[in-house]
Amino acid sequence: MEKISDALLYERVRGKDKDALEELYDRYEKMLFSYLCKMTGDRDLAEEALQEVFVKVWRGVGSYDESKGKFVAWLVTMSRNAAVDLIRKQKKPSVPLDEIAEVESTDSSVEETAEWQEKSEQIHQAVRHLSEEQQKMVHLFYFKGYTHETIAEKCGIPLGTVKSRIRLALKKLKTSLQMVQEGGVLDDKREL
Amino acid sequence: MTNVNCDQLIDYLNGTLNEEEQKQFEAHLAECPECRDIVDATGELPYLADPVVPNAGMKARILDAVFDEEAQQTPLAEEPKKRDRPAPPAPMAKRGFRTSKWTPLVAAALLVSLLGNAYAFYELSDQPDAPAAPEVAFETVDLQASEAFEGTGTAALVHEEGALNLLVQANQLEPTSGDQVYQVWLLKDGQPIPTGAFTPSQENEGAVFFSLDENTEGWDTIAVTLEPNRGNETPQGEVVLSAAIDPEA
Ligand SMILES: [Zn+2]
Repeated sequence: MEKISDALLYERVRGKDKDALEELYDRYEKMLFSYLCKMTGDRDLAEEALQEVFVKVWRGVGSYDESKGKFVAWLVTMSRNAAVDLIRKQKKPSVPLDEIAEVESTDSSVEETAEWQEKSEQIHQAVRHLSEEQQKMVHLFYFKGYTHETIAEKCGIPLGTVKSRIRLALKKLKTSLQMVQEGGVLDDKREL
Repeated sequence: MTNVNCDQLIDYLNGTLNEEEQKQFEAHLAECPECRDIVDATGELPYLADPVVPNAGMKARILDAVFDEEAQQTPLAEEPKKRDRPAPPAPMAKRGFRTSKWTPLVAAALLVSLLGNAYAFYELSDQPDAPAAPEVAFETVDLQASEAFEGTGTAALVHEEGALNLLVQANQLEPTSGDQVYQVWLLKDGQPIPTGAFTPSQENEGAVFFSLDENTEGWDTIAVTLEPNRGNETPQGEVVLSAAIDPEA
C-alpha cells in the first residue's frame, strides 16, 4: 500500500478524520518532541507545546495547503512558535549568549533509528557549510527560542540586519542541504 | 529575487505577521519558489536535535486533549494544563531529557555514584540551589537473564520529589539488527508501560534513563524485551532480562 501524503492526510483531518490526525501524529511525534525538548530543555514543556500544535491542527487554526511548502515545515514553524510562547510565559531565564554552543552536537545517542541517522547526517553536513555567524543565527532562532527582536537586542545588531542574516543563513542551508541530498557524497574530508 | 514580500519571510516564520500580512505573505509563498524552498529547508532542522524517547503515555494524553470536544469551546490560552508541573521544576525532570545523550559508560558511572550516594544526582544537576537534604528513596536490583540470553543488567529505581526515576544498564548484550531495540518496561499486575529503549554500543553495553512524573507507585516488575521496532505500547518481542521489584519501595 502506498504511503498517503501528509497533505492528503491533512485534508482528511480537516474533514474531522481522527485516524488521519493520529497518523500525522505518529509520523512526527518523535521528530517534533525531540526538537521541542532541545528547545525548551524540559520534557513537560515540550509535551505541552506538542499538544498545542496538534490541537491547532485539529481545530484548523492556520490552515495548511501545499502552496505553503512542505507540511512538515509548516508543523516545525508551529512547533517553534508554540515553544517560544510557552518559554515566554514561563519566564524561563534565557541562557547567556556566551554559553551558546554550536548548533552541532557530537554526542551519540543510544536510540537513533536508521532514518533518523540519515536525516541527521544530512542536516549536520549542511550546517557545516554555514559560516559560524550563520550557524549562530539558526541556533538562536530555532533552538534557543529567541525571536528576531531578541536576537537583535542581545547581539546589538539592527533588526533588519538580523532578519536578512537569518534569511541568508536559511537560504544557504537550503542550498547545501540540496547538495548533500543530491550529491550524497559531499565528503567533509575533501573540504578540509 | 528579493522584493518587499520576500523580506517578510522571517516575520512569517516567527509568527509575528498580522492577519492581513499573513494572508498576503501566504499568497506570496505560493508564487515565490525561493521563499518556499527556504521554508521547506526549515522542516529538516529538528534532525539537528538528538532523538528523545517520548514521555510515557504522551500520545494518549495529547490525542485525548485534541479530541476533547468540550475543550474545543474554550480558547486555547485558557485550556487547563494536562499536568501540574512542580514549581520550581524538580532537578530530575530535566535529567530525563538529557539522558538520551548518555553513553553507556556515563550511565554506568552514574549508576555507581547512585549506589554510593543518592545525593550525587544533585552534584550532577545544574541546579546549585537544590535542597540540601532531599527526600530520596532508592532500590537497586540485578536483572535476571532469560534462558538462552547471555546479557546481564542492573536497574536502579529512585523515588524523589514525587517522581520515579529509573536507570537501567546492561552488558554483554546481543547486537540488534534492523529496527530492533531493547525496550524497558515497568509492570503492575501484569500491565506494562514502556519506559525507554536503547540499542547496544559496540562494546555491547546499553543504558537508559527514564523519569515518571505520575503513576510512580506500585510497580512490581521490571523487564527488558528485544522489540522488532521502537515505539511499541505493549511488548511484542521476547523478554530477555527481568526482575521483581518492591512495590512499596
Ligand atoms: Zn519570496
